[in-house]
Amino acid sequence: MLEIEDVTVRFGGVVALSAVSVRFDKPVNGIIGPNGAGKTTLMNVLSGFVRPASGRVSGDGEALLPLAPHRRAHWGLRRSFQKEEIADDLTVFENVLVQIDHSRSPARSKTAEVEAMLALVGMADRAGKIGAALSGFERRLTDVAKCLVGRPRLVMFDEPAGGMSVDESRQLGALIRQIHGATGAQVLVIDHDVELIRTICEDTLVLDFGRRIAFGPTAEVLDDPRVKAAYLGTEEV
Amino acid sequence: MRQLFHVTPSGWAGLGTAAFGILILPSLSNSYWLSVFTSMGCFLLAIAGVAFMYARLGMVSLTQVGLMGVGGWIALRLNHAFDFPFEVNLALAATATMIFGWILALPALRMRGLYLALVTLMAAGGLEIIFATFQFPNGGAGFWGVQTGSGAAFRRPWIAQSAQAYLRYVIACALLGFLCIELHRRLQPGRAWALIRRSEAAAMAAGVNVTLYKTWAFGIAGLLGGAAGALLAGSLGLLDDGTFRASESVMIFALAVVGGAHSWQGALVAAALYKVLPAVLNIWGVDANLSFVIFGAGLLHAVITAPQGIAGQLLDGLRRLSPKREARDA
Ligand SMILES: Nc1ncnc2c1ncn2[C@@H]1O[C@H](COP(=O)(O)OP(=O)(O)OP(=O)(O)O)[C@@H](O)[C@H]1O
Ligand SMILES: [Mg+2]
Repeated sequence: MLEIEDVTVRFGGVVALSAVSVRFDKPVNGIIGPNGAGKTTLMNVLSGFVRPASGRVSGDGEALLPLAPHRRAHWGLRRSFQKEEIADDLTVFENVLVQIDHSRSPARSKTAEVEAMLALVGMADRAGKIGAALSGFERRLTDVAKCLVGRPRLVMFDEPAGGMSVDESRQLGALIRQIHGATGAQVLVIDHDVELIRTICEDTLVLDFGRRIAFGPTAEVLDDPRVKAAYLGTEEV
Repeated sequence: MRQLFHVTPSGWAGLGTAAFGILILPSLSNSYWLSVFTSMGCFLLAIAGVAFMYARLGMVSLTQVGLMGVGGWIALRLNHAFDFPFEVNLALAATATMIFGWILALPALRMRGLYLALVTLMAAGGLEIIFATFQFPNGGAGFWGVQTGSGAAFRRPWIAQSAQAYLRYVIACALLGFLCIELHRRLQPGRAWALIRRSEAAAMAAGVNVTLYKTWAFGIAGLLGGAAGALLAGSLGLLDDGTFRASESVMIFALAVVGGAHSWQGALVAAALYKVLPAVLNIWGVDANLSFVIFGAGLLHAVITAPQGIAGQLLDGLRRLSPKREARDA
């Protein structure tokens, strides 16, 4: 369970997040909002790249904010970036292995785990392929596999379906739905694709200008008139 | 992981080149070329260090020759103070220079790009002043150990007393240096570095301790530079501060880029340009400063047309000749 309390972030004069509090307790949760609403900033606070002016964050009852970013990864935090970050000169296998390199479990069990997760995302047959040779979708799948190894507790995706075809986006959605069952991790998805959010997320948080304007079961939230005004309003401009 | 000891075609070529250098080159060389190739071997090891930092992490280090000076100073100091065999002096000098590299990393890690380069250049300038002021130990009394007149003898390794044997020794050490880098590249640090170069944020999100691995890279560059300095001390018996000017560090880095920082061939081209080219010009009776003009042209050439350096271009040419290899590498 992820609890965010009263988190405020300022960049100079811009208030990117304004006293946001929310408690995610469903397996798959969404965050939506118009451009510049503060979605990525919230994710950056969770991963430790942005230090909030105030607020608390706890995952499974543990305070996350005092931990350095790589320590949060050791704790079980995983994230993918808006632009996938796959090293071009490593193979698919190595790109995933990096995530659990720090753990002390024996090499053989690490190899087995990487292979299992590559199989789950459907990249097992391309494990030896070099990063530079991957298609955009293959890179994204590798990224997902990387988020699944090493007993993740919280997996966050920042616009995973950006730039994908309808088909790929559907495939990715199905994959994200499997994460909780396969690893026990809680999942947080940011996306502009409302259909994707509607089909995969139980609960959804809506941000606008850094404020929480709605939170609850996805279908209810998407029907909320305030959300329609804020989110869909700008979408149609 | 399973491919830890897999030898690539480029690896075989490297081993072959080292075998040629160890088995054949010394017997083909007269005393002039023995000394040229020996110091080329020492600088090859140092260049491997800078090229590695640039290729793996994109970090520009302009202290490498200064680090050689540190290693050389320590080796000379130990040689004249104690009765250790050469190998002990070499190991201690390399280790101490590695630690020096870590210390250098502390302020440098807060900087990126140009600022990092400037910090390392300042360190090189500082070392240049220290070497010029205190000189290198030659058997004198006290901590700095400098005496006027002829210096005391420097003990070479017992298996490499002659100039030929010492060249073999230096080439073997350079080979070990390259293997050390390659081993790192194939293990956990190599994966961490690849991700750090891609994006530090992504590396942190993947649980990589970015500070640790960058510091580690500085340590390796220091280790190789320190060993190179100690080997150079063994070759010459004494060291001159003129060898370790900051400008030489800049030169070494530029040549590493010209040669191609991503491959051992590039480091070899760089070391040959640095040491063999002036020696050839010298034999021809041409002013050795002409080599600077050639370096400059090489740098322009590299910046404009060859991001992988001269070695990259040669390798591309070879690949074009044998299309089968390309398929296998992919
Ligand atoms: N590092 C930064 N420095 C200054 N301002 C920033 C920084 N990061 C974000 N901002 C600002 O904070 C606000 C929120 O940005 P954020 O990236 O979180 O939005 P977002 O909801 O992810 O938008 P998008 O849908 O476009 O990705 C924006 O006004 C943005 O300009
Ligand atoms: Mg964003």
